[in-house]
Order: sequence, then C-alpha cells, then structure tokens
Amino acid sequence: MKPIIAVNNVKNERVKNVDFEIMEGTLTTVIGPSGSGKSSLIMLLNRLTDPEEGEIFYKGKHIVDYPINELRRKIGVVFQQPNLFDGTVEDNLKFGPNLRKEWNSKLGVSLLDKVQLPEEFLTKEVDHLSGGEQQRVAFARTLANNPDVLLLDEATSALDMRTVDLMEELLEFLVNEEGKTIIMITHDLKQAERLGTYTLFMNEGSLEEKGHTKELFNNPTTEALKRFLEG
Amino acid sequence: MTEISNLSLLTMIIFVMIPVSMSYYFSLGISKSAIWSSLRGVVQLFLIGYILTLLFSMEDWQGVGLWVTVMLVIAALQAAKRGKGIPFAFWLSFVSLVIIEVFVLSIWIAFDIIPFKSEQVIPMSGMIIGNSMVASGLAFERMKNEFSDSRGKILAALSLGAKPAEASKMIIRKTIKASMIPNVDSLKTIGLVQLPGMMTGLILGGASPIDAIRYQIVVSISIFSCVSICAMIISLVTYRFFFNKDMQLLTFEGGD
Repeated sequence: MKPIIAVNNVKNERVKNVDFEIMEGTLTTVIGPSGSGKSSLIMLLNRLTDPEEGEIFYKGKHIVDYPINELRRKIGVVFQQPNLFDGTVEDNLKFGPNLRKEWNSKLGVSLLDKVQLPEEFLTKEVDHLSGGEQQRVAFARTLANNPDVLLLDEATSALDMRTVDLMEELLEFLVNEEGKTIIMITHDLKQAERLGTYTLFMNEGSLEEKGHTKELFNNPTTEALKRFLEG
Repeated sequence: MTEISNLSLLTMIIFVMIPVSMSYYFSLGISKSAIWSSLRGVVQLFLIGYILTLLFSMEDWQGVGLWVTVMLVIAALQAAKRGKGIPFAFWLSFVSLVIIEVFVLSIWIAFDIIPFKSEQVIPMSGMIIGNSMVASGLAFERMKNEFSDSRGKILAALSLGAKPAEASKMIIRKTIKASMIPNVDSLKTIGLVQLPGMMTGLILGGASPIDAIRYQIVVSISIFSCVSICAMIISLVTYRFFFNKDMQLLTFEGGD
C-alpha cells in the first residue's frame, strides 16, 4: 500500500507542525476535542486554505502543483451541514460534472442509488427534503465528481441512526469496492473505532497520536488521548 | 406659479412643533434632532436654491460639469460607506455612477429627449445619481451579507471545483434581483399610490399632467435601467474581492 496523501510538518494558526501519511484505499478517522484543529486540517488537504509552513503531497506531487479545481475535484469534501444549492436535487448533483460539461441524467440516477434515494428525487426541490435526505444528496453531489479521496467533516453527526447506518454502509462500500480513500472527522468514538483502519488524534492543534485504529483505541500512549477516550 | 412668501414659510414651524411636542410628551428623546434636522434641511435647501441659481446663470457645460461632478463624488462617498471593508469601494461606486451618468445623458441628448441645459440636466441627473447611489449601497451591503450567510454553500461550490465566478453566481443573481425589486414594485404602482415627486413638481409649476407624465416616464424608466446596471457592475466586480488568487474564500471584516 502506498500513501496517497503525505502531510509534512504543516502549520497554520490552528494546526501545529502536523505530520502524517494516508494510505490509498483506507478509511482514516480523525478524533479529538472541539477546537482541536480537525476541520482546519481537512480544509488544508484540498486547498480551501493553505498552510503557513510545511508541504502537502497528493499522489507524490505537491498539491500546489495541481490546477486547484482539479485537486478539489479529486479530493472531495462533505461538510456537517448539507449546504445544498437552491433548486432541485438534480441541480445539485450536476453542479460538479457540469463545470466540465460531463453531466448526463443516468449519472444522477446511479448517484441517488448509491445514497439509497429513489429516482423521483431528481426533480424534488431541496427545500422539501428532510435533514437526512439533504445530507444524502450532499454526499451524492460530492460523489458526482468521482473523487479519489473523500473528506468528511462530521458529515454524519447531525443524522438519525438509520441514516447513519446507511451512510456507514456506503462508506464501507466506497473503500472496499471502489478503492476510495476516506478521511473522516467524527465525534462519535464508537463510529471512529468501528469504521477506521487508521486513526489520527488531534489535541490543541497538534497531532498527538496516529496509528492503527484498534491499537490506538486499546493502547493509547499519551495522557491526552487516555483522558479523551475515557470521556 | 404661486410664490410661497417668507411669512407663509414660517408657518411651517407649526408642523415642526408637532413631532417635537410628541417627543416631549412621549419622552422619545428626539426633539433636539427633530429641530436640528428641520433647520438643517431648510438651510441646505436654501443653499442649494442659491447654488442652482448660480449654476443656471453659467454656461450650460460649466454648470452641468461642475454640479454633476459634485453629485457623483458625494453619491460615491455615501454608497462606499455601505461597502466598508470592500477594497476600492469608493472608486468602484464612483466609476459605476460615472458610467451610468454618461450612458443616460448620451441617450437623453442623442434622442432629443431633453436639451443640454443646466435646468434640465442637473435635476434629472440628480434623480438618476441619487437612485443609483442607493442601489450601489444596497448592492455592497447585500454582497457582504450574502457572502457571510452563504459561506457554507460557497465553500461547498469551491470544494466541488467551481471557480469564484461559478461559486458566486447565485449571490450575484440574488444581489441584482434584490436591487431591482424596489423599482419593479414602484413602477407597478407609480401614480396610483403616490404621484412621483418630479411629476408633482411639474404640475405645481404649471405644466399639463400629460407633459408631466412624459418627463416622469423618461425619469422612471431611466432610473430602473440605471439601478439594474449599477447593481450589476458592483456585483460583478465586488465578488472578486471575496476570494484570493488561489480561489480561497476570504473572511471579510468591517461593515456597519
């Protein structure tokens, strides 16, 4: 397995000297207290912000050497809020592909199928959807770009149990069947342990621990992680 | 036209005293500002009256050139206040107001709608510039509010690979629409709810209602068009200041 993302000594106002690698085709969970820099870290990976120091590589190439919209297409994000655009579900799904004139309605149906929504949803106004449905559309909208890496910023935290289960199934499918790489911030420690192959623990802007999820959860080495896991 | 004598004008004190006494009675605390603003308004209007008399006595190109420039600068300064925090807000509103004034004036003169005379150009330009000033200010304010309220949506659009122009499309559309709506509404009810100021003035001055509405049509339609152009220019230029060269959304401080 080779690293798809490498972060070397990255620093900005919220993140301090962070170093890690993400292996291709794995699901990495990111845990840590609120305000520990998890979201700031994710924003750096697809250049929604830039670090003050340090370097980030995607597939061995410095991220600043990619055309920025191509990088963002390859490294997609799903945020905690769906942030859907006004209009129909189809308007949202085709937003990314339309930027490259690659949209066709068959794609819309298969995307909805992935997030287990029926085809009729394509013509529904997004305002008429429930919170869980909106977030599923947001997932599908990001998947419409066919990203290699998926960044999830608390993307399941506002969902009901049933939708969380559906989303977790989808994530496992994306990693195991489609070979996607997923980096997932979550406050739900059970979810982090259940889904992750690797886990990063952020605390006060620093990456305090990283490693295999099982090992990290069973044998935390730092006091901060021990305290955090004990709740 | 019947002249209002100085003595008759003094009776207006009665009208001023009504809100002032209400302020005392209900402890509204606005009596000072009511007196001050009424006084200031009277002095300002007399001053403008004398300035206009002076301007109308000058060569037309001098009078128009001088006063239109003054109006443009004051309007741009006022509009820029609403764009606090946005770089070059003054110059942006100044240039868009100049574009509008030149555009409107050329059409008016070229199609013989009004003659190039200070008495005609100055008041009509004043209405165009005044309304465009309000539209510019609203466009600035709306852009700032939309960029702050829709931050999540813009980030989502950027993260899907959109360029700033594509990510801001919805905001630009909303801003232009919002600045056009008051004019659309006022055009719908024009003359029915309230006779427009210009038309009232012309009728009071002795013009026939039909002549008065001709002027009003020219002014109302010109204002409508100018307000839309102004909001469009401001929106299409301003959105760029909310992003850096790496297509990253900036956080804007400032505002009222």
